Amino acid sequence: MRAEPWCAPGPTTGRVAMDRQQEFVLRTLEERDIRFVRLWFTDVIGTLKSVAIAPAELEGAFGEGIGFDGSAIEGLSRVSESDMLLKPEPSTFQVLPWRSDSEHQGTARIFCDILTPDGQPARSDPRFVLKRALDRAAQHGYTFYTHPEIEFYLFNGPLKRDELPEPVDYVGYFDNFPGGTTHDFRRSAISVLESMGISVEFSHHEGGPGQNEIDLRYADALTTADNIMTFRTVLKEVAGEMGLFASFMPKPLQGHPGSGMHTHLSLFDGDANAFYEPGAEYQLSRTGRQFIAGILRHAAEITAVTNQFVNSYKRLWAGGEAPSYVCWGHNNRSALVRVPMYKPSKGQSVRVEYRALDSSANPYLAFALLLTAGLKGIEEGYDLPDGAEDDVWSLTDAERRSMGIEPLPQSLEHAIAIMERSELVAEALGEGVFDFFLRNKRQEWAEYRSQVTPFELQRYLPLL
Amino acid sequence: MTRAAAPTGRRAGALALLVRAGFADPERALKLLRDRALADVVEVDEDGSVPAEHATTSLVRALGRTADPDQALLALVRWTEALAGGLDRASAPHEAEGVAAAFNLLRDGDLREAVGTRARLLAVLGGSVALGDHFVRYPRHWTVLASASAPDAGELRAELLQAVGADPAAAVPVAGQGRRGRPPGDALRIAYRRRLVGLAGRDLASPDPTAVLHATAWELADLATGALEAALAIARSEEPDAGAAARIVVMGLGKTGGRELNYLSDVDVVYVVEPAEGYAEEEALRVGARLAVALQRTCSTPTAEGSLWEVDAGLRPEGKNGPLVRTLASHVEYYRRWAKTWEFQALLKVRPVAGDFALGWDYVRAVAPMVWSASERDGFVEDVQAMRRRVEAHIPSKEADRQLKLGRGGLRDVEFSIQLLQMVHGRTDDRLRRSSNTLEALDDLAAFGYVGRHDAGELDRDYRLLRSLEHRIQVFRMRRTHVLPTGEVDRRRLGRSLMLRADPVHQLDEVWRGTRRDVRRLHEKLFYRPLLSAVARLSAADARLDGQLSPAAARERLAALGYRDPAGALRHLEALTSGVSRRASIQRTLLPVMLGWFADGADPDAGLLAFRQVSEALGGTQWYLTMLRDSGAAAERLAHVLSAARLPAELLLRSPEAVAVFADDDRLAAYDVSEVLEAAAAAAERRTDPGSAVAAVRAVRRRELFRTVVADLVGRRDLAGVGRALADADQAALEVALRVSTRAVQQRTGTPLPTRLLVVGMGRLGGAETGYGSDADVLFVHDPLPGAAETDAQQAATAVVAELRRQLAVAGPEPALEVDADLRPEGRNGPLVRSLASYRAYYVRWSQPWEAQALLRARPVAGDADLGEEFLALVDPLRWPAGGLDEAAVREVRRIKARVEGERLPRGADPLRHLKLGRGGTSDVEWTAQLLQLCGAGEHAALRTTSTLGALSGAVQAGLLDADDHEVLVQAWDLTSRARNALTLWRGRPGDSLPTQRRDLDGLARLFGFEPGSSAEFEELYLRTTRRARAVVERVFYGR
Repeated sequence: MRAEPWCAPGPTTGRVAMDRQQEFVLRTLEERDIRFVRLWFTDVIGTLKSVAIAPAELEGAFGEGIGFDGSAIEGLSRVSESDMLLKPEPSTFQVLPWRSDSEHQGTARIFCDILTPDGQPARSDPRFVLKRALDRAAQHGYTFYTHPEIEFYLFNGPLKRDELPEPVDYVGYFDNFPGGTTHDFRRSAISVLESMGISVEFSHHEGGPGQNEIDLRYADALTTADNIMTFRTVLKEVAGEMGLFASFMPKPLQGHPGSGMHTHLSLFDGDANAFYEPGAEYQLSRTGRQFIAGILRHAAEITAVTNQFVNSYKRLWAGGEAPSYVCWGHNNRSALVRVPMYKPSKGQSVRVEYRALDSSANPYLAFALLLTAGLKGIEEGYDLPDGAEDDVWSLTDAERRSMGIEPLPQSLEHAIAIMERSELVAEALGEGVFDFFLRNKRQEWAEYRSQVTPFELQRYLPLL
Repeated sequence: MTRAAAPTGRRAGALALLVRAGFADPERALKLLRDRALADVVEVDEDGSVPAEHATTSLVRALGRTADPDQALLALVRWTEALAGGLDRASAPHEAEGVAAAFNLLRDGDLREAVGTRARLLAVLGGSVALGDHFVRYPRHWTVLASASAPDAGELRAELLQAVGADPAAAVPVAGQGRRGRPPGDALRIAYRRRLVGLAGRDLASPDPTAVLHATAWELADLATGALEAALAIARSEEPDAGAAARIVVMGLGKTGGRELNYLSDVDVVYVVEPAEGYAEEEALRVGARLAVALQRTCSTPTAEGSLWEVDAGLRPEGKNGPLVRTLASHVEYYRRWAKTWEFQALLKVRPVAGDFALGWDYVRAVAPMVWSASERDGFVEDVQAMRRRVEAHIPSKEADRQLKLGRGGLRDVEFSIQLLQMVHGRTDDRLRRSSNTLEALDDLAAFGYVGRHDAGELDRDYRLLRSLEHRIQVFRMRRTHVLPTGEVDRRRLGRSLMLRADPVHQLDEVWRGTRRDVRRLHEKLFYRPLLSAVARLSAADARLDGQLSPAAARERLAALGYRDPAGALRHLEALTSGVSRRASIQRTLLPVMLGWFADGADPDAGLLAFRQVSEALGGTQWYLTMLRDSGAAAERLAHVLSAARLPAELLLRSPEAVAVFADDDRLAAYDVSEVLEAAAAAAERRTDPGSAVAAVRAVRRRELFRTVVADLVGRRDLAGVGRALADADQAALEVALRVSTRAVQQRTGTPLPTRLLVVGMGRLGGAETGYGSDADVLFVHDPLPGAAETDAQQAATAVVAELRRQLAVAGPEPALEVDADLRPEGRNGPLVRSLASYRAYYVRWSQPWEAQALLRARPVAGDADLGEEFLALVDPLRWPAGGLDEAAVREVRRIKARVEGERLPRGADPLRHLKLGRGGTSDVEWTAQLLQLCGAGEHAALRTTSTLGALSGAVQAGLLDADDHEVLVQAWDLTSRARNALTLWRGRPGDSLPTQRRDLDGLARLFGFEPGSSAEFEELYLRTTRRARAVVERVFYGR
């Protein structure tokens, strides 16, 4: 299944392929005896939403879309205007392996764009936000590719309320543990992913107990974002089937590494990697340098989106390799932006890695902002500051200040305050999403602040 | 001596003959006539002149009948030279005979048989440089001109196939060697041009080009499809087994499909491929794609013999990104699921033109039902409107006057409009599906009553003329152009080619201008006028004569044109046009074009309804009918205004005679406040009782309001102008109402008023920035006359003020003016009117910061002017405090504002969208301006103004506000104020929130000049502008 050209991620997904897919989708519905089609879309916070329809309705949905009440969905529409339309994007059609049992009664999913009743794209659809950013890149002649390394924790299930989760193992980084549960889990998760046309590049055990990483193959940003949404669902489904629980929470276990989603970014100009320039330092072109400069200059503004939860900042400020300071380096594992080691003969693989992103981000919005920030650097011709060669964590505050290295926001509240003033973010997200996101995050912060935590109880209760 | 005179005289005679014949350069013509190449045709005298010998004169006259005699003669010389030069000793005897025949023809052109041939030959030589060149290259091709009748499509196909060595009788013709051993591609080009010359001869020699236009365009299409067939045969010959795997048909679309081709245009096609028996589909598709590519290359790649034209397959499913060939099923699938309206429109003209015709007709049968039901699709109306805008939009402005094809009334518009009618009505009436040829379709539309016969006739004539012009321009150099030439010589030739011989350049201009004027009214004729026949009770004879649209068809059409309630629209039409009154007859003339103007507005139905109501109210009023009849601009403006928003209609219905403002621009000019005042005073003078006097004043105010609305909607008044005009109208109403009320109280009490009275404008009235929905905020002040008792004075003042408020607000036919005095000391608990002394005492002892703030916009608007001065002298130190505000006072202003934000916003209102109290709304900006004034006006005179915009720019001058911040605040104030005005216009009543319903938002966006369907962009602009403003307010006002 995975070799089908219509689901191959990457530059081949043009219109020709797409319309053939439409024919394919309708044919597959019959051939595979699909009984339900799940229409997938994502709310502003990045939660996957699903509406199931009968296959017979899909044809109409291709034409005119399927109406639904958007008022219940976070940030989607105002109460007074709740009727929205879902319009499936045929290139994203997939049979869901875990729901298609042996009696051949299958379920399939298809990602949707959200439209207003008069057929215009809903401004509050995260997919539209990303598409708009990609259009802007396309006006410069660029396509945007991303390649995420998704970390997550695996716990023994089911999750019990008020109890600390129990990691599935206590194996270390890259440890191979033949026959272990984790191993089985990764194997079946990857086989499901691949059967859904999502290519996996790499997978291994990570540093924390029960922590794993799976890297997706690079693809255009929209496909990658769809894939990340699918990935999260697949992992939770597979874990559930095995009596486990998979979590993408940025920092579930105190004292153990958090789950990030380091993401490699590259721009292509036609078939050519726009970041590549033979002979330049790190083979990194002027465009590449400007792109990095853009991301660095706007990093603090976009952090509320790339690290969107209260908990995100506990990963970001846990020391070690966490990318807490705005700087870049060649292979510097403490820098926010890293230019990975250049492999000779692989000019096309020149890319930059953004390391702040965590696994819980809304990938559509996060990619849209990273791209917009990078493009801004190119449009305005930002200069790239010198790269950091040291471990920035080992420097003193004064040293960092003197080197002009700023910290990322230290809390969600801080990140919100910076984002509020950002024209770049407002423009990239659109006014509606921008406003909703800020309100939602302010509320989250307010709720968090009102908590009395175990920390406080332990420390103060006996004392005070 | 006489010998010398004689030749000069003969020479002069020859020159005169040439001039009379139409030569522009007779000297050169004379020289050419004496060229050796014409020695066998023209006899030349020894003295160098051309004798008035009969044969020569006849030739000169024949040349003179061509579009460009000079050009024709030059080409003739070159051709005869080539013809004779081709002969040598090796030539076969029949070749020499052929040359002799040609010369005989030229000389003896008036022999009965040959007249046509010579005329056609010369017409080609004079009408086309490009085809003349062909003659020089292939001089013997002249024989094709001997035939006066057009070959049929089969003949052309067979001839072109034979030229490439293919057997026309074969089921699947395959090319062999080209004629005379040429490469088949070259042989095709030569054979094609030979036939092209033949048809050009018949076309150009015709005394009435428009009469032969249909036949010419038809034959051009047949010739092109013959060439496609030959090119397909060549493509097959390049395949190992002649491409046996694939059945392929070339479907013609566009002008090829409609058999109405130009001399030079792209040939639009799509390809359908099916596997031949015993072959797999994949292989057939592969072979088919190669055949299609080879066919296109054969036609368009230039060789030593040039190229034919581009074959354009861009109309295929998925356009340029789609596969070049598809199976029939795949085509059908595509159209069933994903095609857009314009694609169905393109399919209207589809027909098989080359290859496997059986397959082609299967295709036509399969797609036809979809084409004819396309007008039922969702979004059809919007698609059509968008398509229409595209058709009409974007002509490079320097060509606009000379464009034949683009723009309103251009050829494409005519073709588009006729297709649209076919699609709309062909759904239910299959008689309209007979032909996709523009002229034939127009004929059918007229025959079956969908377009008036007379209008159809005119349009037919105009279309033929435009196409003829296009043909003549193209054929001259065989260039693809649709623009009238500018050069004198070119225009002269063009005029002459249309048989405009007396003064070709001038006559051409006239014909062109007239036709263009006519064709611009195309939509009226095609779309709208027939709608009237649907509601008219025509006599049977009339209906037969000019056709009658059925009510069902009329509803279909109205819906397609954007009317949301076609049945209602039809009723309005009926009411407006029925009867024998003068009004009905004028409206019958006007409505066709007005219906189009309404349809261009945001709310066509409301526009039409309002027009009906106004018309009914005005009845047969003479000047109204005259205005509508004589001033197209007035009618257009009326239609535009009534379909753009609801407020103007509501105002107009209160007093239909106000429609007079549409008559001319002068009536929309802004008046000075004193002029308004005078008018109001004069109106009040004529009435004795106070009630009707104030009613008259209110009528004047309504008239001003209406004038302002109209001026606003037609783009003749900006926000400041609107604010000023509305404030002036309110001020005049207050002044005259005050006088009337004073008089009334005096009459009641029988004594002169014991006090002086003053009305002070506050808020937007004070700032002269009034909006459509604004109340009049005021303070009432009085000052007892010397010796008058305080209580008497107070009583009298209160009585006057109460009378004034009642008279202005009482329900009546004219819009009420709510006079709001809530900003007075002690608010609603305080007395309505106070004496100046009382104000003084109050302000000295009790004044709150918000009162000083409110006084910033205080401006005397009515009553005693001296008292006004005194009042200002009292409040100036308060509102412009010498030392500015202290910290505590600033804090207090901020606190109040913060509280207002929390409390005043209505429950459930979205703070992002509330125009006045929302984030970055008018109130945010006004408070900021006012705080800056309170702090700085004591020191800086620039801040001493009652207007918000004035205060903001004053603050910049005073260095209290950054220029960038100023820009942001002004933009937000302008946008939110205009949005409030626009909302009132659109709904007919004031509103406070940016609408959430798309339709309302769209209507609003259009009032801001956005394209239809841009509500999301407008919303984004609003949210962005106000967000930025709020950030400035946070900083500048709150000091955060």
